[in-house]
Amino acid sequence: MVVETKHLTKVFGSMYALNDINFSIKKGEIHGLVGENGAGKSTLIKILTGVYSLTKGEIFVNGEKATIKDPVKSRELGINVIHQDRHLIPSFNGIENIFLGLPYSKKKDKITVDFEAMRRKIDVIMDKYSIEVPLNKMAKELSPPQQTLIEIIRAMLTDCKLLILDEPTAALTDKETIILFDIIKKLNKDGTAILYVTHRMDEIFALTDRITVFRNGELVETVKTKDTTKDDLISAMTDSESENNKNINLVHKNQDFGEVIYSVKNIATKDKVVKDASFSVHKGEILGIFGLGGSGRTELLEAIYGYKKIISGEVIYKGKTLNKLSPRNSIKNRIGLIHEDRRGHSLVINRSIKNNVVLPVIDTYVRNGLYDSKKENNDVNQKMNDLNIKAINNNQKVAQLSGGNQQKVVFAKSLIFNPEVFLCDEPTQAVDVMTRGEIHTLLRNKAKEGKAIVYVTSDLLEMLEIADNILIIANGKTHELIENNNIDSKTILQYCYKER
Amino acid sequence: MTNLKTNKLKEVMYTYGTIIALILIIILFGILNPRAFLSSTNFWNITRQMAILAVIALGATLIMCVSEFDLSVGNIASFSGVLAALLAINGVPFIFSLIIATLLSGILGLINGYIVTKFKVMSFIITLAMGRMIYGLTYWLSGGAIIFNDIPQSFKFIGTAKIGKIPYLTILMVIISLIFIYITKYTAFGRKLYAIGGNERASKVAGVKVEFNKTLAFALSGLMAGFAGVLLASRVGSASPTAGDAYNLNAYATIFIGITLFKEGVPNILGTLVGVAIFTVLANGLTILQVPTFIQNILTGLIIIIAVVGQKVGTSNND
Ligand SMILES: Nc1ncnc2c1ncn2[C@@H]1O[C@H](COP(=O)(O)OP(=O)(O)OP(=O)(O)O)[C@@H](O)[C@H]1O
Ligand SMILES: [Mg+2]
Repeated sequence: MVVETKHLTKVFGSMYALNDINFSIKKGEIHGLVGENGAGKSTLIKILTGVYSLTKGEIFVNGEKATIKDPVKSRELGINVIHQDRHLIPSFNGIENIFLGLPYSKKKDKITVDFEAMRRKIDVIMDKYSIEVPLNKMAKELSPPQQTLIEIIRAMLTDCKLLILDEPTAALTDKETIILFDIIKKLNKDGTAILYVTHRMDEIFALTDRITVFRNGELVETVKTKDTTKDDLISAMTDSESENNKNINLVHKNQDFGEVIYSVKNIATKDKVVKDASFSVHKGEILGIFGLGGSGRTELLEAIYGYKKIISGEVIYKGKTLNKLSPRNSIKNRIGLIHEDRRGHSLVINRSIKNNVVLPVIDTYVRNGLYDSKKENNDVNQKMNDLNIKAINNNQKVAQLSGGNQQKVVFAKSLIFNPEVFLCDEPTQAVDVMTRGEIHTLLRNKAKEGKAIVYVTSDLLEMLEIADNILIIANGKTHELIENNNIDSKTILQYCYKER
Repeated sequence: MTNLKTNKLKEVMYTYGTIIALILIIILFGILNPRAFLSSTNFWNITRQMAILAVIALGATLIMCVSEFDLSVGNIASFSGVLAALLAINGVPFIFSLIIATLLSGILGLINGYIVTKFKVMSFIITLAMGRMIYGLTYWLSGGAIIFNDIPQSFKFIGTAKIGKIPYLTILMVIISLIFIYITKYTAFGRKLYAIGGNERASKVAGVKVEFNKTLAFALSGLMAGFAGVLLASRVGSASPTAGDAYNLNAYATIFIGITLFKEGVPNILGTLVGVAIFTVLANGLTILQVPTFIQNILTGLIIIIAVVGQKVGTSNND
């Protein structure tokens, strides 16, 4: 056993985040960990890596009892982790970010930092696992997948007996995921055990040897991957066997939409990431926009929402050209953006759920000069109910929620002003399979009510599940519009590569 | 084509804007009064005037690196100057008065750092309050008066002496600057300070000892402020409980100007030095032109705002 826990328990206030967990990872295995949002997966990882202390129980590393009091200790024991949120210093380049918290290489005087020696050590690893990432750029200039790679290199720099990955593919496209899987498999072959947390079932089955299921802070079962199925796992996670009859057809096959409600023409942004983008979306339509990392999909949504400066092009909404694009005007027009960057651009992380959810509409609660907190409370609670947000109450700080529940708060924050047009960028990142289904159903129902939805995701299977039409974006320009009818992911990828 | 050129020009302006501003100021004064301003005597004079602000600002730069404030540096400088002067008057050799006053200042900084990191409270208010206490202490030590009687000649040496044309203070400033550049760029300690300032949580998760390094930064900032306080007392040949006051905000202004120097957008030693130079050259030039003090204040404030705003306008694409 590389790592074993006995009766591990973690209590936050009066809530059991982990309850009596007996869990083990064998040498050389890839172990999957699944469970609903808030089931306790990240909490287990944070205890194993010394970020949280445990309330009760014991941990054994390589058969010996271990006290993991801080991250340094955890790394000394050979446990490395890629957390759910990236942990990089924005103004540092790759080399320094990789060596963050590790002893720097020194010159002969034993004081002066030797950056060249550090780079050589990194090069060895990058060669061995054929990783490509620019080391001279600052972290703030890197894309999310590149940032993930930086963290992976960091983990491999020290003697790594167990590598833990907490939803590493949340921001990755298929191609980048394949690269990551290659690296993981190579590492595993060299003897590193892997603990892999994800909500993506296909990844679990592609990668793991054994799977553990968490539910509500308890360990439900550990099974061999070859002895189980997706449906089995889902029912173990949810404890309700009848969940599977929700197979409503999400894609709108006959394409009889209402009129065009929202269209953009020849958009180009000041920083030139978006060069020429045009599309129209009808009432009742879910329009997918698919592009690889760096294609400008996020920037396009930011631009038409009014957050990023454009130098040409126009946005036409309900037949009129919007002449002053700004987030405030967008909200007034009931156009909502669900931003891809949860912690940076969506949430005020140290404020309560309530504060976050009402942020876009805070003015509307003032009646005759008084703030109507009762209505505020009701509205927020209703949204929390609709989205099944797991929290103590609406006054809990968002920072204390699990990753998936944070994402649901982001969603609630848009729903609060009942948008006519939804601009969604990776809206289901980090949410569990069940909630993902619920969000899809919710959006489909909104479409049926006559709303229009623009949907960006890097997960192709998800795209095929939800979009009526798929627009290809590459290199800052929009290209083919493909009807989602008897096409597969390969076709779409071919379009993307053709345009590059 | 022309578009490309103007873009290039813009880029140069944004990258070197702060330095260009410094050069423009120098050229302007040079034209208005070449004889007095451009003389070599005045050059060395300016570098000497820079030294004390530089020493305080360099120490405070470390604090800004970890995204904290130390607003007691001015009071610490006054304290240290008064203490050193009193010791000297009572017969303690200069070098020991210097060391004692500087070390005690370092301890004051250490206390700042300890309170801020131990109780996770805002450094802004803690150091402001500590500054108040230190001021009270200094006032009591000095009896509220300016100390200048009986200060021995040896005490004034370091602040006034020169090697050839070059003031001691200038040499000291250069040496300290080099040490600070080395610390911030090439030692693990310096790099950790930047890591903490860049993302404290990430640093912690990666195993950086956040509290320890922050506390050390506070101690160093106190130490430097104390050192500067003694130099100041030595240069003017007197010490008072308010001598360091003006340096407090000026130090932070220079650091903010310095942040605009590089695209990383973080406090840095070279930048701070450029900020100090802008400040000092302005004061020097305006005084030579006999501009009244109140107008000097208005102009100085205005130029800082223009420097910082100009940089910001150039670099942001969003919004
Ligand atoms: N610092 C904290 N303070 C209070 N409660 C917390 C804190 N951290 C986590 N929790 C709670 O512990 C529970 C488990 O959270 P955890 O992050 O482990 O879930 P998870 O399984 O990783 O979920 P997800 O799939 O959404 O990432 C959640 O209910 C969460 O609100
Ligand atoms: Mg999690």
